[in-house]
Amino acid sequence: MVEDVVDVLIIGAGASGAAVAWSLADTRMRIVCLEQGDWMNPAKYPSNAANWESQSFGPYNIDPNVRGLETDYPINNRDSDVTVVNFNGVGGGTILYAAHFPRLHPSDFKVRSLDGVADDWPIDYDTLEPYFAQNDCVMGVSGLSGDPMYPPKKPPLPPLPLGLVGETVARGFNALGWHWWPSDSAIISQPYEGRDKCLNLGPCMSGCAQGAKSSTDITYWPDAIRRGVELRTRCRVREITLNDDGFADGVFYYNADGEECFQRAEAVVMACNGVGTPRILLNSTSNRFPNGLANSSGLVGKNLMFHPVGFVQGLFEERLDSHKGPQGCCILSKEFYETDLECGFVRGYTMQINRGAGPLNTAMTGYINGTIPWGPDHHDAFRQRFDHVAAIGIIGEDLPEEHNTVTLDPALTDSDGIPAPKITYRYSENSRKLIAHGLARAEEAMRAAGAVDITSEGPKPVAGWHLLGTARMGDDPETSVVNHWGRSHDVRNLFIVDGSIFVTGGAVNPTSTIQALALYIADTMKKNLANLFD
Amino acid sequence: MPDPVSTDLPLSERQQSLLAALLDALIPASKDGTMPSAADVDFKYYLSTQAADFVADLTSILGRLDPAFSDLSLGERCEQLTKFSANEPQAFQNLLSRVFDCYYQDDRVRSEIGVVTGAVFPQGNQIIPGDLALLDPVIENASRHGYRKT
Repeated sequence: MVEDVVDVLIIGAGASGAAVAWSLADTRMRIVCLEQGDWMNPAKYPSNAANWESQSFGPYNIDPNVRGLETDYPINNRDSDVTVVNFNGVGGGTILYAAHFPRLHPSDFKVRSLDGVADDWPIDYDTLEPYFAQNDCVMGVSGLSGDPMYPPKKPPLPPLPLGLVGETVARGFNALGWHWWPSDSAIISQPYEGRDKCLNLGPCMSGCAQGAKSSTDITYWPDAIRRGVELRTRCRVREITLNDDGFADGVFYYNADGEECFQRAEAVVMACNGVGTPRILLNSTSNRFPNGLANSSGLVGKNLMFHPVGFVQGLFEERLDSHKGPQGCCILSKEFYETDLECGFVRGYTMQINRGAGPLNTAMTGYINGTIPWGPDHHDAFRQRFDHVAAIGIIGEDLPEEHNTVTLDPALTDSDGIPAPKITYRYSENSRKLIAHGLARAEEAMRAAGAVDITSEGPKPVAGWHLLGTARMGDDPETSVVNHWGRSHDVRNLFIVDGSIFVTGGAVNPTSTIQALALYIADTMKKNLANLFD
Repeated sequence: MPDPVSTDLPLSERQQSLLAALLDALIPASKDGTMPSAADVDFKYYLSTQAADFVADLTSILGRLDPAFSDLSLGERCEQLTKFSANEPQAFQNLLSRVFDCYYQDDRVRSEIGVVTGAVFPQGNQIIPGDLALLDPVIENASRHGYRKT
């Protein structure tokens, strides 16, 4: 019997797996992607029903431990200040993300040189710039050229509407003389590549029924599949195997029926992001790698970075229509992005303007924080707040620390018996100071914008959207897991293309940079096909 | 006031009467009459289609109410519910979240507060594009706002 060997096996069909598959499809190699989740059915997204808000608390919850789908795996967050949130399915985290799509800044790649902290990346912004641009075109990104906080760039689509929320907070920033700019958003503002434009539905973070939000199941994957990539769903990888020569030679996985399967491969690409990738590597032990595959540095699973998050809400006398429009994409300010030692911390944060909540969320949150009672006074309080709120999210840079880790839980497993990840994470003093500063400045901006009541909270616990750093890239095999183009130092046919290879995290949502990295690594692989494993 | 719960749900007539009084205390009609009482929205449909898992908890809560609850004034019912919320905060919060969930799906309620009725897709919403001339001060100060060179 002829053995079934694929040329490239990709694990994970999310942001990075889709991009790398799409790019490698040029090679006409046999490429297979294994994804533990299912294809999404947009007809089932919550905005197709009247109860779109309550569905986001249940089957479309961002926390897999709450969502508890068959295709999810449990995560032990008990020793962590932050709860991991994710989605498992074709599209991965892009199914539930806000689609806020800023790039890392040039300075983010040089924090050791500029600020004397953490490490520089082995690549720079200019290396990734063509891939940022390519990714913006394939995904469909809306934005406005000319932001002075970046080198020149040109989003393919005009910006999303500011709305009354954006205009109101922008006036506050202007009063203070602070930077702001319309957000780069992976949501299409005009018809684009067969997709129709955003309808301002609101609940982007429980899936986009309109298909205007650029999740990879509707951007990269259809074209990658047309060009020959095979995507197999409900295939949960347990471990990567190694041959006697020290090369990865395949993976064991479980299919939808829970049967153990083996897929042989010439090369393996990990695309499971900052928790899923170290989980599989740590579970792939052998005589050569008793502490996990590609882990001679001991750094697989270490240096976990999130982005500490704070949140400030301003209540305005005038109606802002704030439940309408993309929840997380409006405008942003980078006024405090770079290190200013007078602030008492290093690195900085972004202030991202969020639109307001729907009626159920407004009522329940108001009850919990004491601003909207039940009973005879309910209606007056509700009217005062609903559609009268603007919010500023603070997203801070989280510096890498080896004691923040993803390990394998000794007892907890998923439904196939694969050890679940355990998160050990504590906010640093720097992060706490940074968030405190951000909350105070956001309150200042809200006051300048005319808010009559302001509430703030942070750092928030259920905020682990951005999963970074657990298989970092670098030139030195003793201090990094992969080299400057994503190839494992230890296993020369193993590549990592997701957020785990970030050296530092910047202070922006990472998906744009994750996908640019995946495209860059795929391109480098294509340029080196003749001697890929040398 | 219509029956808030149909007879095919496992609630007695007495329980239905208690439920109507409970809903009306949690969200009474607005003083100006524009917003209905929670007892006037279709809790029957909500329970049967979206919250069947809540019927047992609801029955239990109704069983713990004062037997004369439905005969009390609004003020007296609110007083009793305030005690209930203090003694059993989790159960009360769960109840309230279900009542809010049902209430804010109601077409009359949504129309009144300016939210599209039914599913938000494919109707969508209109929002103003916004005035990009507001960026003028940022552009004028581009040198101060410029990105950090490496």
